[in-house]
Amino acid sequence: MLNQSTIEAIQRKAATYPERESALMPALEMVQRENHNHLTRDMIRDVAELIGVTFAKAYGVATYYSMYNLRPVGKYHLCVDTNIPVYLSGAEAILTHLEQILGIRVGETTADGLFTLSEVEDLGSCGTCPVIMVNDVYYENVTIEKTDALIASLRNGVLPDPVDESYYGTVCSILLKNRGTANAQTLAVYRNRGGYQALSKALTIPPNELLDLVKHATVRGRGGAGFPAGMKWGFLPKNDPRPVYLICNADEGEPGTFKDRQIMQYDPHLLIEGMSIAAHTIGSRKAFIYIRGEFEWIARILEVAIEEAKTAGLLGSLDIVVHRGKGSYECGEETALIESLEGSRGCPRIKPPFPANVGLYGCPTIVNNVETLSCIPYVVEHGAEAFRSVGTLGNYGPKLFGVSGMVNRPGVYEYPLGTPLSTVLAAAGGVKGQLKAVIVGGLSVPILTASEAETLKLDYDSCIKAETMLGSGGIMVMNESVSIPRVALRSIRFYAHESCGQCTPCREGSLVVKRLLKGIVDGHGKTEDIDTILAICDTVIGSTLCPTGDAWGMPIRAMIRKFRHEFESLIR
Amino acid sequence: MKLTLNDRLFEVPDGLTVLEAAKRCGVYIPSLCYHHKTGPAGKCRACLVEVEGMRGLQTSCTVQVREGMKVVSNTPRVLAAQRLVIDLLLSSGHHDCLSCEQNGDCELQQAAYYLGIERPTFRIDEEFKLDSSSEFITKDSGKCISCGRCVAGCNKTVVNEVLGFGFRSGSTEIIADDDLPMGSSSCVQCGECVQLCPTGALSDKKAHGQGRYWDLEKVDTTCPYCGVGCQTTLHVDRAKNRIVRVTGREVSPNQGMLCVKGRYAYEFPSHEDRLKYPMIRRNGQHVRVSWDEALDYTADRIRTIVAKHGPDTFSAFGSGRITNENNYAIQKFTRVVVGTNNVDHCART
Repeated sequence: MLNQSTIEAIQRKAATYPERESALMPALEMVQRENHNHLTRDMIRDVAELIGVTFAKAYGVATYYSMYNLRPVGKYHLCVDTNIPVYLSGAEAILTHLEQILGIRVGETTADGLFTLSEVEDLGSCGTCPVIMVNDVYYENVTIEKTDALIASLRNGVLPDPVDESYYGTVCSILLKNRGTANAQTLAVYRNRGGYQALSKALTIPPNELLDLVKHATVRGRGGAGFPAGMKWGFLPKNDPRPVYLICNADEGEPGTFKDRQIMQYDPHLLIEGMSIAAHTIGSRKAFIYIRGEFEWIARILEVAIEEAKTAGLLGSLDIVVHRGKGSYECGEETALIESLEGSRGCPRIKPPFPANVGLYGCPTIVNNVETLSCIPYVVEHGAEAFRSVGTLGNYGPKLFGVSGMVNRPGVYEYPLGTPLSTVLAAAGGVKGQLKAVIVGGLSVPILTASEAETLKLDYDSCIKAETMLGSGGIMVMNESVSIPRVALRSIRFYAHESCGQCTPCREGSLVVKRLLKGIVDGHGKTEDIDTILAICDTVIGSTLCPTGDAWGMPIRAMIRKFRHEFESLIR
Repeated sequence: MKLTLNDRLFEVPDGLTVLEAAKRCGVYIPSLCYHHKTGPAGKCRACLVEVEGMRGLQTSCTVQVREGMKVVSNTPRVLAAQRLVIDLLLSSGHHDCLSCEQNGDCELQQAAYYLGIERPTFRIDEEFKLDSSSEFITKDSGKCISCGRCVAGCNKTVVNEVLGFGFRSGSTEIIADDDLPMGSSSCVQCGECVQLCPTGALSDKKAHGQGRYWDLEKVDTTCPYCGVGCQTTLHVDRAKNRIVRVTGREVSPNQGMLCVKGRYAYEFPSHEDRLKYPMIRRNGQHVRVSWDEALDYTADRIRTIVAKHGPDTFSAFGSGRITNENNYAIQKFTRVVVGTNNVDHCART
């Protein structure tokens, strides 16, 4: 039985959503947190009854998201990210070391019940990895020595304060303008530095004029697709009686991407101001920030900032709810995100209808990325022309580039769209060793060889010309020491783990490709396996319900096509 | 509405999807997750086609026919995509047609036949679970293709709300309640999931090994259990003169749905204790009589008892297995002819 205070907390949470089922995930999370990070079948049943969903639905949700623990975990749950950026920085050594010093394998718990060791997918710490998440806390830039010190401290019952160290830089001073300022996440500092003036101005402008302004500025979606935000907003039906919802996509799950957290963690009011302006423009009274559950501490920063803004009367009638994901890459896809926000498994919907017409709770909904919404205050304050003066033709404004992998100063760098890759790499301290390959838009885009990357400009259109995509601007740098077949194998392991499982080519195709690549890397592959993988990728691209099939079909195909000799050399 | 399908011009009614239209035109497009009762799901991806003017391949179950639309379902690209889907599904499961109950009535088998797939190409390591805990339904994850028709049917059509999807990615499976064995779950065994399943993943347990689909004679009839009048098809083994299986017909009033009795309690016609004619007990023995004799005897006894002891010594007991009209006549007879209110019914509690 759930205790009374938990029931009351769940009821309060449920009241913040237009529909009760949305509270299913938060409720499961609360119950898990109170039970030493573990959900039992009885607890899931209790939550199902309290929220009013079927047992199958609640259990389906609890088993879909990787952060719900249906088996008991130790007092300290050590989650080690081994995805590509971390793989490039030696995460496997950290994991192996932990196995040795704890005397357990991945997935096991120490006999004293103190530690559980898990290998997890991308934690969004690509510039500050290796990373170990202990319960809710991120320990970044870890080394073998720091790992030893961390474990020693945990054995003494002390969860040490994490050290916040990361590289960043800006030449635009738009999105990262407050990044180096102390306490910029507080309302007072944000306002002192000119914050919320854009919102004040926006409230004096009729929504249709604001829409024209944003359309003219051409703020292309920074989440990956590059679709202009103003045009998206323009798709909302006119004179519709249904409420309009605004959702900020803060799922940031694309491996290689760690840019949105820079805004949310250090300058949350910039996002809140952007959301307020967007909500005013589209006529939304209820907005959500869907943030990945691993960013718990950032979610709390956002909640504090929202409360501050609300108390100061800045939000007017707008209500912003922070909703936590619970471990699913797929929820970065906007319709999967909406499903998740409605309390369901994160399986994408068929489009059309598009969310602008039928989105959250069947109502018109706009989903925009954190960085996209954070561009809006600048557009309103300085005008569309000022925004268009940054960047290149058709690709306007600043962009956050997250540089990870084999560079000397991995971090987030703000440059105008259209900046040469070489400039951004130089800002990140230059490549360690000889550049071999680079992925410029997060793991889901085709890899570029060093020569292809040499003259690349970082904007949506230039990247398409180079037969890749700018995506989220997550740049992963690989030098000559990197084995591309191993990168391909680790990549497909990620997608096979994260496929929502509803559509055949993605669910089963990723498993086949994983098996074949594993065979090749382990030295028992055949030449025809390479062609089978290519044939699967060719067919999967464009065949799936959501873009996830493309998201692994395209990069795996590019890795093989461009570095085929490396795959062949592994075949005996 | 004019539709060009594989270079042939057809006239189809408004409001159809490409898949529905193709079916009406006699053009087969493989499809698995679509069922007209559960609607388009767009996720098995078997029904991919090319539509002129639309980028990439489209699922024919989700695209509405528009005037003058040109659709192709047999180009090398389309067939390659369809073949990959079916091949992956065959590779991922344990699809042993030779011993499968659904052999001959399986949509996956039909698609494989159409696409000329003899054996699966790939190898996928998965563990399968056979759940035979339920009295009437067998759930075999090795034959499940995660199409979701059972889940949609359980939740949206019959609204029993037992089945759902559990786990994710390659581990996705159909669960009953919170992943209980079906026999311990809240399943009422209406069998709608079995009826909707395109493969042999959900099957009628009692029918296992009782006859191949094509050998059984299909007899359309009305369910005898209650007054609703559900339409059923009996699958009859004529040699043994036995009903082997019952399926619901997708017509009014039940649209394929049946209850546990209508679908699974079908042994009584051939049961040795079945009452087939009227009998009167004489000297402790049941003796077969004609209907006239039985009715005369009954009428006479009612008259005699009521005349001697009064109408309240009579009572009538109606049945759920007869129609509402029959039950109405029983109470009318009891009240008006006999003159008592002693009327009861087996479904009263």
